[in-house]
Amino acid sequence: MPGLATMSLDNMYCTRCGDGFEPNEKIVNSNGELWHTNCFVCAQCFRMFPDGVFYEFEGRKYCEQDFQVLFAPCCAKCGEFVIGRVIKAMNSNWHPACFRCEECNVELADAGFIKHAGRALCHVCNARIKADGLQNYMCHKCHGVIDGEPLRYRGEVYHGYHFTCATCGVELDHTAREVKNRPGYAANDVNNLFCLRCHDKMGIPICGACRRPIEERIVTALGKHWHVEHFVCAKCEKPFHGHRHYEKKGLAYCEQHYHQLFGNLCYVCNQVIAGDVFTALNKAWCVHHFACSVCDAPLSTRSKFYEYDERPACRRCYEKFPAELRRRLRRAHHYTVRR
Amino acid sequence: MSHQPPVSCIPNTGKMSKAKKVIEEAKEINNPEIDLVDKGISSLEEIPGLFSLENITRLSLSHNKISVVPAALANLSNLEILNLANNNIQELPVSLSSLPKLRILNVSLNKLYNLPRGFGSFPVLEILDLTYNNLNEKVLPGNFFIMDSLRALYLGDNDFEFLPPEIGNLKNLQILSMRENDLIEVPRELGQLARLRELHLQGNRLVVLPPEIGTLDLASNKSVLRLEGNFWVPPIEDQLKLGPSHVLDYLRSETYKVLYSRHMSAKPPPPPQTVDKSKKASRAA
Ligand SMILES: [Zn+2]
Ligand SMILES: [Zn+2]
Ligand SMILES: [Zn+2]
Ligand SMILES: [Zn+2]
Ligand SMILES: [Zn+2]
Ligand SMILES: [Zn+2]
Ligand SMILES: [Zn+2]
Ligand SMILES: [Zn+2]
Repeated sequence: MPGLATMSLDNMYCTRCGDGFEPNEKIVNSNGELWHTNCFVCAQCFRMFPDGVFYEFEGRKYCEQDFQVLFAPCCAKCGEFVIGRVIKAMNSNWHPACFRCEECNVELADAGFIKHAGRALCHVCNARIKADGLQNYMCHKCHGVIDGEPLRYRGEVYHGYHFTCATCGVELDHTAREVKNRPGYAANDVNNLFCLRCHDKMGIPICGACRRPIEERIVTALGKHWHVEHFVCAKCEKPFHGHRHYEKKGLAYCEQHYHQLFGNLCYVCNQVIAGDVFTALNKAWCVHHFACSVCDAPLSTRSKFYEYDERPACRRCYEKFPAELRRRLRRAHHYTVRR
Repeated sequence: MSHQPPVSCIPNTGKMSKAKKVIEEAKEINNPEIDLVDKGISSLEEIPGLFSLENITRLSLSHNKISVVPAALANLSNLEILNLANNNIQELPVSLSSLPKLRILNVSLNKLYNLPRGFGSFPVLEILDLTYNNLNEKVLPGNFFIMDSLRALYLGDNDFEFLPPEIGNLKNLQILSMRENDLIEVPRELGQLARLRELHLQGNRLVVLPPEIGTLDLASNKSVLRLEGNFWVPPIEDQLKLGPSHVLDYLRSETYKVLYSRHMSAKPPPPPQTVDKSKKASRAA
């Protein structure tokens, strides 16, 4: 490096550690930046660059291995790194040659593709599969293909136009409601199909969860009707089955999750807090359970306490901590306050 | 341990008689909560009548000089809270694990190098505090992770390099502190702890986190996620500067899943141990 010899060592500093250089010390010069040989290392593995080859990304230098591991995309077909042109499609990265039609295997990178039922298809295959109508329903009565939503009746699918409403006689579509039983009617009178309007007038309640009629036990809560098994805790989705539920912002919760989410189980006794609540450090306590976590001495709102793993420690306990632990806690405290 | 001359308790006789007084008072008024904090106690056997207080629910013995926990302590079958913080304990008797009502056990700030076989059989333990001892993954007894009643597990200031994947069995865990251990890796199974809302991983040797951590509810205003003082890969470190919730968002991304799986298959050497633990008070004999 002939250029370096003419510069004074006094104003030369290592880009990484900022220290100067010893006379006769070997210096790495990379694009005008100077480094101790020990400091010119991969930002990830801290080792020297094999054969001096490094990759730079966002101001940091990486060895080839780590650069690939950290930043090079990986082909979803063959699992190899993609260097060069990357095809981003179907939520993955691909080599151009690896991204192919899942029906006919033609390359899609330049021809374009269509996403069909979770698969990448070329235009030709997509058109054929659509025409085949494989994904459509077949009417149980006329065996023709049903375009769009079918009408469901006694476990089969039909064109809506084969049926009329049992009350008003209007031709039906997929929104028709099947009624299986109804208080005050014999079984033969029911199992009929009704248009939505007539169904609603029959006063059969609709479940707030599944939007289907409720023909057996009914729960009324949150201003709606529910199938017993569909009235569930908004968090764990277990049915209440008559157990007490707690409401918050239009949703219902079981006791455990209501308190877990909104409040107030005591950290010590794990019971719902009746009466006054102490809250601190993302936790809650009954008044008589708010205590130092190291010695169990009661604390009050006026007590000074130290945070210790997000729990309170009284001054006496803090002072009895090993000095080296106190030092670390102080440092950690500074760190969180600064943020 | 047993080489201590018996005269060692003589300077403490003043304090010992105070302990005796506490016990007598407790018997008189039938007080179920016994405070024997900072009473200079070096042996529980020196406290007359202690093991016959079968009705007590809390026993607080913090800041004493106890080195041996007698098995007979398990006679106190109504104990719900047992606090042995800051003593000289090197070993625990397995009998403690049979205490039928024990909900909170604090053995922090002691000198434990291991736990007894069968330690995990506590029937209803909710909070276990083993902070500031000399424990690591190799000395955990086989049944440690059957304690699925645990709400909080404090293992900060110990010597763990790995966290066993069985941690995923502790379905009720809401708080896990691994602060300032030597952790090199945490298992994917941590992501199974759906109720976790406090996770302390600060001051370890971690480089990546399993993407599953991103699915945990650790970003709400009631949650705590501490990650500082590790050796994070640059993209995690950059998100951490913005806040822990940004890290969680990033962990859920497709980019990160790829980075993580590649990191795990490349297995780079772990970062160096940075904390000098020789000065820990738990080390001194
Ligand atoms: Zn490297
Ligand atoms: Zn490929
Ligand atoms: Zn038809
Ligand atoms: Zn009608
Ligand atoms: Zn329903
Ligand atoms: Zn629930
Ligand atoms: Zn309480
Ligand atoms: Zn205290």
